[in-house]
Amino acid sequence: MLNDITIGQYVPGNSVIHRLDPRTKLIAIIPYVIALFSVNDWQGFLLMSAVTLMVVLLTKLPVAYVLRGLKPIIIVVVITVPLHLFLTPGETLVMAGPLAVTREGVSKAVFISLRLIYLVLITSLLTLTTSPIRLTDGLENLLKPAGKIGVPAHELAMMMTIALRFIPTFLDEMEKIMKAQKARGADFESGSLIQRSKNLVPLLVPLFISAFRRADDLAMAMEARCYRGGAYRTKMVQLKLQARDGIALAAMFSVMLVSLAFRWWS
Amino acid sequence: MNTRSMILVAMFAAITAVMAQISIPIPFSPVPITMQVFAVCLAAGILGARLAATSMVVYTLLGIAGVPVFAQGKAGLPVVLGPTGGYIWGFIIAAFVMGAIVDRVKHPGYKTMLLAMMVGLVIIYTTGTIQLAKIVGLGPVEAIAAGVGWFLPLDVVKIFLAAGIGYSVRNALIRSGYLVQESK
Repeated sequence: MLNDITIGQYVPGNSVIHRLDPRTKLIAIIPYVIALFSVNDWQGFLLMSAVTLMVVLLTKLPVAYVLRGLKPIIIVVVITVPLHLFLTPGETLVMAGPLAVTREGVSKAVFISLRLIYLVLITSLLTLTTSPIRLTDGLENLLKPAGKIGVPAHELAMMMTIALRFIPTFLDEMEKIMKAQKARGADFESGSLIQRSKNLVPLLVPLFISAFRRADDLAMAMEARCYRGGAYRTKMVQLKLQARDGIALAAMFSVMLVSLAFRWWS
Repeated sequence: MNTRSMILVAMFAAITAVMAQISIPIPFSPVPITMQVFAVCLAAGILGARLAATSMVVYTLLGIAGVPVFAQGKAGLPVVLGPTGGYIWGFIIAAFVMGAIVDRVKHPGYKTMLLAMMVGLVIIYTTGTIQLAKIVGLGPVEAIAAGVGWFLPLDVVKIFLAAGIGYSVRNALIRSGYLVQESK
């Protein structure tokens, strides 16, 4: 289930993409997505394919492994391609029985599928090349300016870290409670739907009570150590932007400008 | 936000992550009952609007950071930006609205829970379907057929059960003194 939870999907490595600052990777996704959604002709998608391929190769991850991330959306693509092929009005290319495949339908099907596939590919690289802790750090850093309008950047990052630490605990606890209740004769596997959901009560009540108890303990422990939020707090690992971060951002923003120019042109 | 509520928010994000992994297969349906939506409802019913919404923000951010917290151990930005992402960020809005409904009533009973969860379900389906339509490029009718059609009847059944369980859990917490009813 959630075995290596603290690592998540992260594949350790030492490529250029791995070494980029997490903030750079988070920001670079924005111009990429804008570019991806603004191109709407063959040349534009050729450009996006080249960019995507280059980034994938730069991560030095096995390509087959990266492509595995596409599994969940394959079915969406398979379902929507025929919809676009047959239901888009336009110039008829082929007749398949009573249904007409149109030129517009073909390009719409290809473009929308590619867009979805590239979107998933690039965004999955973010978590494949960055550990959750570093990403949390990056998110906290990026959100800091929003603190002025009331976004609790430090608190959010702290809550993410606490949640991360407690997921394995709750999984454990759930299993323990389940066994304990089974030993007392509880039955989670049979019975009608209503019976089964009623059986969840003796599972969930102890789980929530233990969550509240742990929260109380942890709050007291933190306050006893004078925890008072993000102010004046220092970090063991400081994020620092390097030259490669500048290059990566410049590259992505130029891709965006080029793709916007493409759109303007046509 | 004080330390205790901050930690509670984190705990509910963790619990949502755990519950999203539980699925009870049911006969005659390819869609198993997952407890994800149920966890959102519980968070709203127990924490109230502001904290519940925050815990869903934390849950979503955890997923974006690559922790496999979404249903079926999925994670990453692609899930949130992808076709089914609307169902996830919809949790944030739904948690807030459900929490607000429960907050309004002094001693929320089964009916309040049920009402709140119905409203929450509508919100989650709306955001989910909108994103599905936008990303996949479907028209409104097709999107509703794909995003709502198959699951809705089942989810309504689930909601009736979830409201009952939510009510029992909330009462148990109040009885054991962990949840003070007038504190919100």
